[in-house]
Parts: sequence; C-alpha cells; structure tokens
Amino acid sequence: MRRCGGIRLWSVIAALVGASVAARADVASDKAAAILVFPKLLTDTSNAPPGPRGQIDTLIRVSNTSAQPISMHCFYVDATPQCPSVAALRTCLASPLDCVANGCTSQCQEIDFYVNITALQPIAWLLSQGSSECSLTSPEDVPCLPLTSDNPRSDGESNQGSRIPPVPKDPFIGELKCIAVDANGMPVERNDLKGEVEITRVQGNVADVEGYNAIGIPAIPGANQGNSDTLVLGGNVCNAGTNAGNVCSSAADCPSGNCVSAGEYVGCPNILVLDHFFDGANDPVTGQEVTTDLTLVPCSEDFLTQIPVATVVQFQVFNEFEQRYSTSRTVTCFAEWPIWTIGGSQTMRLSIFSAAVMGTLTGQTRIRGVAIEDPTFGHTLLGVAEEFREGGGSAAFNLHFSGSRPQSDYLYYLP
Amino acid sequence: MGRASGAIRRRGRATTLALVVGAFVVATSTARADVTTERSASILVFPKVISTPATASKLATDTIIQISNTSNSMAFAHCFYVNGAPPDPSQLPSSTNPPQCQEIDFDIFLTKQQPTHWVVSTGRRISSVGTSDQECSDKFHDCNGAGFDPGAIPPVSDFFTGELKCIEVDSSGAPINGNHLKGEATIVTTDGDASKYNAIGVMGLNTNSNANNSDNTLCLGGGVTPSCLTGAEYNACPDTLIVNHFAAGANDPVINEFASGSAVNTEVTIVPCTEDFENQVFGAAVVQFVIINEFEERYSTSTPLVYCWANLNLRALNPVFTQAFLGSRFAQTRMYSATPDQSGILGVVEEFHSVSGGNQTRDALNLHGEGDRPDGDSVVLPGGF
Repeated sequence: MRRCGGIRLWSVIAALVGASVAARADVASDKAAAILVFPKLLTDTSNAPPGPRGQIDTLIRVSNTSAQPISMHCFYVDATPQCPSVAALRTCLASPLDCVANGCTSQCQEIDFYVNITALQPIAWLLSQGSSECSLTSPEDVPCLPLTSDNPRSDGESNQGSRIPPVPKDPFIGELKCIAVDANGMPVERNDLKGEVEITRVQGNVADVEGYNAIGIPAIPGANQGNSDTLVLGGNVCNAGTNAGNVCSSAADCPSGNCVSAGEYVGCPNILVLDHFFDGANDPVTGQEVTTDLTLVPCSEDFLTQIPVATVVQFQVFNEFEQRYSTSRTVTCFAEWPIWTIGGSQTMRLSIFSAAVMGTLTGQTRIRGVAIEDPTFGHTLLGVAEEFREGGGSAAFNLHFSGSRPQSDYLYYLP
Repeated sequence: MGRASGAIRRRGRATTLALVVGAFVVATSTARADVTTERSASILVFPKVISTPATASKLATDTIIQISNTSNSMAFAHCFYVNGAPPDPSQLPSSTNPPQCQEIDFDIFLTKQQPTHWVVSTGRRISSVGTSDQECSDKFHDCNGAGFDPGAIPPVSDFFTGELKCIEVDSSGAPINGNHLKGEATIVTTDGDASKYNAIGVMGLNTNSNANNSDNTLCLGGGVTPSCLTGAEYNACPDTLIVNHFAAGANDPVINEFASGSAVNTEVTIVPCTEDFENQVFGAAVVQFVIINEFEERYSTSTPLVYCWANLNLRALNPVFTQAFLGSRFAQTRMYSATPDQSGILGVVEEFHSVSGGNQTRDALNLHGEGDRPDGDSVVLPGGF
C-alpha cells in the first residue's frame, strides 16, 4: 500500500513535470529564439521602369540578445517566379492570377550563408546588397558589419568570417530562415536571436515603410539530439510499447509506453489567425479602399534535396455577423496572395474575402495546413500579413497562433 | 498507535505531496509568465491609441481598433481608455503640463469567433434598427457599422493620446481567465499612411480550473500578497523590453538607395502594468535604457518618472540615441523599470521615416520581452455601485 502511495505521488509529480514541459515557450515574434523565420522579403530596385509600387528593397535587422557571441546559419528561399521577361515577372508579382498567362512558373531555390554576431550586437543588411565586413571602400549608405578582423572588440570578438550575399535576382521575392549555430556550424540551444524586417517602397520622393517582427522558434533546452543535418520542430512520439516511435497526442495512444516530446525546437502552431479588412472595404478613417496580402511559408523545409512539399491549406472565414465560410488552397514552398484571390475567384467582388460579399468591413480568418501521415515532413505554416490602402500606405503585421499539433516538422540541411 | 502512525505517515506524505505540488505550481507559473502579441489572451493592452485633429504641422491622426473572439462561445470584455494627453495638448508633457491620466470605461460582447472594429474618434453606436447602423442599408451593406454591434463604444475626446485596455469578464462582469481575445490597432493619418501593431495579450493562468478569484484585483505574476491572496491569476509582465532601432536621425539605407536623402526617428510608447482604476492611481516607473551600438559599445540613460502613459521620442529624450553620439546607424535598446517595487512596463515602437523634400511614413513594431517580473503587478477594476 505504501508502495502504491509512492507510485501515486510520483505519478502526480510526473504529471506535473509533463505539465511544466507542455507549458514551455511558444513560437513567438516577441521573444528571442534559436530559429528566426522572415516569411516575406522583397526587392525590386530597377530604375527602368519602376514597378507598380515603385522601387522596393528590404532591410533585415537582427540582434544578439545575449552577452555571448553567436553565429547564424541562414537560408534564403528564392521563390521568385521564372518569367520570360522582367515586365512579365512584375505583372505576376503584382497580380498572381496573371502569372500563368504571362508564362511564369513557380520555383523554390535555397542560398545559404553564415553570420557571426558579437555580444548584444545589432546588425542589419539590405536584401539587394548583402553585407560584409566594413572597409574604407564600403559605400556610406549601405549597412556593413563594423567589427572587422582589423577592428575587433578589445576581447578579440568580431564579425570576421561573415559574408551575406545579395539575393541573386532583382526582382526577388522569398523567405529567410536563420538558425543559431556554434563556431563549427552546429545547431545550439540558444534562444538569443531577434529580428525585424522593413520593406520600403519609394516612388520619386514618396516613401512607404512597413515592418514586421521575425517569427522566433525557441530551442528546447536539453533536447538537441545531435543530429546536425535534421532539426525536429515539436511533435510527440510513443517512447515504448507497441506503438513505439509513432506520433501520439496523449499517453492513451501509447500502450505500455509514454507519449513524450520529440522536438528539439518548439513546434509550429496548429492554426494561424488573421484579423483583417475584407478586400475592397473602405478604410473608415480615410475612405481609401483596403486590400490585404497574405504570405505563407511551410515550417518544414528540405534545404538538402531542395524538394518542396505541397501543403493543402484550409481557410475558415468569419464576418462581423458571425457568418462562417471556408475555402482552401495549396502552398508549395512559398505563397503570397491578395486574400481575395485565395478562393479562386477571378474578380474581387465575387470573393468570400471581399467586403461586398461578406457585408462587413472586417473579418477573422483561421488558417490551417492539413496534417497528413508523413513521418518526414510536417504541414504547419507560418506567415505575415500586409494591409494596403489605395493611394496611401501599407502596414505589415504578424499573425496570431493557436495550439500545436502532435506531428513534428523538420528542417533538413547541410551544416 | 499503528493507526496514528499511519495517519502521520499519510499526513507526512500529503505534506510532501503538497510541497512538491506547490513547488511545481510555482515553477510552472514562473515558466509561463509571458505576455504575448500572438496568442489569444484575457487582457488586451493597446499601448498607443491616438486621435488628434490636424494642426499646422501635422495631419489628423486616428486609430482603428480590431478585436476578435477566438472561441466558440460568447466573450465579454470590460475596456478602459486611459487618456495620457496633457491638459494643454499643444505643449509637450511636463511637470506643469502632466498627463491627465483620465480613464473612461465601457463593455463589449462578441459572439463566437466574431471580429469587430471601431474608429476611436467616433466609437461605435448601437444600431437603432436590427443589427446595422443607420448608415447601412440593403444596398450599402459593407458599411462601417455593419455586423453585430459589440456594445456601445464611446468616442474618445479630441487630442486623445493614450492607452486602451480590455479585460475579459463573464456575463456578470466578473474577470475570468478565458484567453479568448485578440486584437490589433491601426494608426492612420488622413493621407492614408498607416502603421499597425498587435495588441499585447496577458494570458490568464490555469484556464481549465479558472484560477481567477473574480474579484476586482487582477494579479499579474508574483506570489501571494495582501492584495493577491491566491497569488498570480495572469502571466507576469516582462522584466525587460528590447527594441532594435535606427539611431535617431540616421538615414534609411533603402530610401537613400532610391531618393536624395532621409532621416529616421523612433518613438517608444510606454504604459505601466500596474493600474488602479478604482482610485485612479496609475503605476509609475523610472525607465532605465541600456543602449548597445553596432560596435557593441554600451550606454545608458533613464526617463523621469513615467506615470500612466508616455510617448518617448528617442531624439528628444536624450542625445545618446542620436547617430552622432552612437556612431552607428542601428542600436539595440533594453528597457526596464529602475527598481522592482516600481510598476512593470509594456510598450510599442513606431518609426517615422522622412524623405528629404518628400513625405514622412510610419511603421509600428511590437517590442520583444525578456524574463518576467518576480514581484508581479496588479490591475484594480472599479467596484460596483
């Protein structure tokens, strides 16, 4: 009996340990983390002729929030459609429905680089220019890395060895993921990175700036499995019994075993939540027409074989009358849509994302990547939204998250 | 004797269990002490809400509030505007022109998954017919007031610069830990320039068991105190806020890439975590700033006592934020209350990018948080009549 009481005591303790593990940090854009995801980067710097929204470039800012130096292994995902001409590409970027008609095909290619950041150091670079150590010949207006091998900190720390390439195309659209690594390029469990993006559009002497925070995926302390070319994000598996190694949601799924965390990093959210104006709604302050663009990227990515995996995305849309609609699309590697195009409508006024159809100015949309039984690839998503006012400015903002899922996501890469 | 011994053993085991459970509960609540800008929560904080008419040098500015219920049941909230504008809004706040810290409150209710919005200068009136405002009709249905009315939302006064705080309550008005609310604020000038940020959410703890005792004192983090007899009911405010920013007056490299010149200035808006709406006493804090430039050089400065609301223009606050002083274009600044007994702080940052001979454009970013305040904060709601 006493033994039984002891077991009960330890069961309670185990349950509480489980509870405290479950309560660990979430994926967030307001906390420092070990993996940073910048879902949307954009550049179009050409002068002849400027694109529909002017000349565009993106400023990327990253800080080390710890008192120890840190390195990042970063990956640009080039999702720029391949088009027969720059004009066709610009049309495709401005209006995704016209991509096929303009002979554009989607693509997905990775470019990686390393950056060394000293203690508490903020750094920044332009997407179109990249960055390297500052020198006497560095252009004054282009950010560079100031702690050079010739000009290190008193303790010898510097940005030496960092070289951020410019993106290979102009125009360019795509994503950036950065992973905290040690001096040997191996992933480290350090939740010390934070970042922001500012996308700036300039037409003549009129500028428009929008910014969003990078999404941070925290490492789980003590969970690094030492498998340097595969990072496991979230998920649970049975640790023993007949279902050992299978995905589980609770101990009930694991006869003779326990359902334990499989992740080295926190899992991506199950559902993304977007509050937005319906497209075509008039801004109640300015009267200008508002439209929203949604960018989605997968949490799982295979940078090793460069094989993108398609994820079906379900959208559930509520208007201010609590009326519910739904639609779906597929994301492969990267997707940026004006929301009125998501349901396949050819005109805004017929879309379930239009104010004319929904009958209210604002809505709430819940976004879910459909999970399938795939032990090598998860199907969660991350994203960012941008709001445009016709004749006015734009504003970007981070999406909200809800829940997590038992399946893991994976990042495959060559360290 | 044997029975007594067993009873003692049981009591001993129960004590051990209680201690272990207590230790884990403390550990768990400490580990969970995060505010969030991406998860539904029980308290929403919009640190920067502006409604100002046009002046000779500035365009009129207004704010659109969006709030959604993310649950499948009704959600209710008790909301407070706190006007931090000084009595003479044409002058900067000072000891002779201090913030008014005037509070006005109202209730909203949202059906399942319902989003709603309003413009703070006009509020949102209750429909006189059915569920739409008078301006809406069968032919004009995507009008501003369309949708279920979330309640009567009052307009703010002219020259309103302050905070909006919404607290989830049940149908009787008692605070609950539902974690059903999310929100965004869009600051818009009449030329269509806009900046947008997510409301800061303070999550209720132990939602399943509703650890909230539903009294008028909301306990944000911390332990058991005379005013928080059951300990923390909500997550704690962060110990440190972190912002990456341009040095004041630095140029924007993107604008300089395409135009003749530029300058960037940054405003950090700070609100206290501790607020007593019953007695109109607002938490105060001296905010300490630690600034690190790109050379990893470290500087510090502080504000005078921040009381109820402060919009800090970094250039005006101290020359240490300028590019001329910092010697680099970018900096990381860490902000925290000077002493643990002062109120915790929350905030948001807005950047203003000016083109030489051209326009000015704004964007807003949520701040990063680090750690949590061990002693907690509290919000006291007005009592009944």
